[in-house]
Amino acid sequence: MERARLVRELQAIVGKGNVLHDRASLAVYEYDASLFRGRPDVVAFASTTEQVSQIVKLANREGIPFVARGAGTNLSGGTAPTRGGIIIDLCRMRRILDIDLENQTALVEPGVYNLALQNALAPLGYYYAPDPASQKVSTLGGNVGENSGGPHCLKYGVTSNHVLGAEVVLPDGDVVWFGGSAQDPPGPDLVGLLVGSEGTIGIATKILVRIMRLPEHVVTILAIFNSLEEAGQAVSDIIAHGMIPATLEIMDNLVIRAVEASVKAGYPEDAEAVLIIELDGLADGMDEQAEKIEEICKSNNALSLRRAKDSAERAELWAGRRGAFGAVARLRPSYLVCDGTVPRTKLPDALREVKRVSEKYGLPIGNVFHAGDGNLHPLILFDGRNPEELERVHKAGTEILEAVARLGGTISGEHGIGTEKLKEMRLIFTEDDLEMMRRIKRALDPMDLCNPGKLVPPPIGEASQVQAVH
Amino acid sequence: MRSAEEILKEAGIPARRVEVPGSQEEVASLVALARKDRMRILPLGGGTSIGLAPVPEEGVDLVLDMRGLNTIRELDPGNLNMVVDAGKTIEEINRELAQVGRGFMLPLDPPRCHEVTLGGCYAANSSGPLRHLYGTMRDLALGVKGVNSEGKEVGFGGVTVKNVSGYDLTKFLIGSAGSLAIVTSVALRILPIPDASAMCEISFQRGSDLQGFLRELRGSVLLPSALVVTWKTGDEALKVVIGLEGHPKAVERQGREILDMANRHGGEGQKIEGREAMERGLRNSVDPKRLTSQTMGLKVGVAIAKGLELMLSIEDLAAKGQVEASFSLLAGNGIGFVYATDSSTSVLEEMAKKVREIASEKGGHVVPLFGPRQILLSWGPRMDARLGRKTLKPIKQLWDPEGLLLPLGL
Repeated sequence: MERARLVRELQAIVGKGNVLHDRASLAVYEYDASLFRGRPDVVAFASTTEQVSQIVKLANREGIPFVARGAGTNLSGGTAPTRGGIIIDLCRMRRILDIDLENQTALVEPGVYNLALQNALAPLGYYYAPDPASQKVSTLGGNVGENSGGPHCLKYGVTSNHVLGAEVVLPDGDVVWFGGSAQDPPGPDLVGLLVGSEGTIGIATKILVRIMRLPEHVVTILAIFNSLEEAGQAVSDIIAHGMIPATLEIMDNLVIRAVEASVKAGYPEDAEAVLIIELDGLADGMDEQAEKIEEICKSNNALSLRRAKDSAERAELWAGRRGAFGAVARLRPSYLVCDGTVPRTKLPDALREVKRVSEKYGLPIGNVFHAGDGNLHPLILFDGRNPEELERVHKAGTEILEAVARLGGTISGEHGIGTEKLKEMRLIFTEDDLEMMRRIKRALDPMDLCNPGKLVPPPIGEASQVQAVH
Repeated sequence: MRSAEEILKEAGIPARRVEVPGSQEEVASLVALARKDRMRILPLGGGTSIGLAPVPEEGVDLVLDMRGLNTIRELDPGNLNMVVDAGKTIEEINRELAQVGRGFMLPLDPPRCHEVTLGGCYAANSSGPLRHLYGTMRDLALGVKGVNSEGKEVGFGGVTVKNVSGYDLTKFLIGSAGSLAIVTSVALRILPIPDASAMCEISFQRGSDLQGFLRELRGSVLLPSALVVTWKTGDEALKVVIGLEGHPKAVERQGREILDMANRHGGEGQKIEGREAMERGLRNSVDPKRLTSQTMGLKVGVAIAKGLELMLSIEDLAAKGQVEASFSLLAGNGIGFVYATDSSTSVLEEMAKKVREIASEKGGHVVPLFGPRQILLSWGPRMDARLGRKTLKPIKQLWDPEGLLLPLGL
């Protein structure tokens, strides 16, 4: 279809001022938070489900690929188009439609920021558990697409565990509901399939999430260690004592120094590891648990321990962790964050592998990770203007994921596959497994227009659709 | 434990052949053979949710009694996970876990959990009282292995809590009732057995009092692990069973505050200490009170706030129709189990029809778990037919083009 006509047709659906097609504007939409680039032909801002449906029907009529996009914070190329086409920007669908305390649900549009929902719920004494580090800027539609996690996943699970239903525009433009407020809808779990599907089998235009009462009491402890191994052992010992804190987060020295230079969270810059432990729930017995945890940390040679006295101090302890990704930009202009996840007890092995890869490729790698659930985030630091260095970065990233797979883990814990890890999918899945996934896509999107070229690699011998790679 | 033949006979399902595979490889070989001969396959566990799958009137050609696969394959308490064969019962799993180290548990407790196999629980998305705190199979399953309709061994997910690698088919297959693949093992989260456990049993004479109590409890900061409302024909009062687990101080306080809360709402009750008592109490709260070949079991789902209303309507229905019945409402989730026994199948059929009407009026859904064959055959679609045609049917056509596995409930 001629581009000028496509623009006119989109303008007729969403209004003249809600379509971008000039070169400069499109450049903004050619990337997300990954290293991949892919330019769309046009961007349309949808405000209603009906508009999304009409755009998708238009795309079907004309055989044009389309990609739904929220804030573009995803880290694996999930929202960078592989074959041009239409970006359907959902950021203007940002209403919280209903908060139903009786049924413990909230109904939101996909463009609502994660933190906006938390801010709306907190005065009512409720919260939404998934809390990705990007929660200030990432949208709930994006969280659903990527099955986002966050520090609290060890105890409360990921996005998938908190989505009860969604209104979905299917790849042919029809609108259906998956799930709903009546739990356990009969049949296979379509909501479970949708969450984490990276916008490849439909576009969620309304999302029904489970909300929970804010915990009565929260205890946050900061423990400083002289080695990553000792911090990791403390984590294992806490779990072995039958305690499951809400969070167990570790940062290494490189990240600590970056954080201190940036956020000034009060971490000692010479520490080799910082461990943040948070307990939540009923107040009764929690102080005893906190004391036990502190005892465990001491027995693993913790250099110092600090318990937040109030919410302001807790926020200070967390500021460093939440700002860690941004802080490392002080060290090098770019970073690639890996997202491999291993069984928790394999963390020391995985960290040894990260160190080996760092030395082998001559690249600094910082470690910040969700230690409780074994989710690593090695941050490979580099200068993107140096193509040779960039090549080493990609090799190093792949080698870390190979190690993670060897250790019985998975290549992505919470950032998704997108275009970034397509080839690494074969590290953990057989061709038969992948073929089952391809058939899901083929069944629901036979024209292969809905965010094509993502999540599942093509069969061996078939060319990848990823045309535009940085 | 009933044999496969007994289960099939009781369910009235004709089957030409029954095999008991002992490994995933054997399942794959049997499916490959069945494919060659175009045999229709029914994977069978304890048969407690056999009504979920719309087994054709003419029956099936090959039954795979999955209870031959009954081992805990991997147990990793340090990482709080395990991999278990599909044929092991939930009760056996928990008995073994309790003996490991400080004691662990798989917090799944569907009705009849001494018969329910893990694979059956997964395929039927079964759950029980403990879902109130610990969630359902969707929250506990980390990975799944199985055999597809071509006889190929496939696997999805893994053993880590976080995993977003590819489509989440571990979750998608939950509730698929043998229609998309045959599940051979599931990787699951496990949890340490809490330090203290107790149970509150409270009676309410009036539904309105109970409604007020439930509303206050659900809106409080208290964290019971289970909240079940039960009633059976002949009972004067509605009974509430509440599970409490955690730190001894937290259990003690919750018991005290819940009983006070109940008193304020006109309820009378007591707290019973100990894990064994709690487990027994919770199990009794959801199991059928009487089980005969003329007992029908239904699972109902409705929004949380409408749960009690729905169940009180069912109580009226049973009283008016003079049907011997009981219900169990998982009051924090809107999930209910309705059991009815009558010598006349048409009386049960009529009751099922009315339960479906009431649930539908309240925006809920009902599926049959078990019951006389006539009821299961005439049930019709188990799921939303329009949604199924748009989404599941095309997947079924590509995953099982020859229709060897059980049909979708469309």
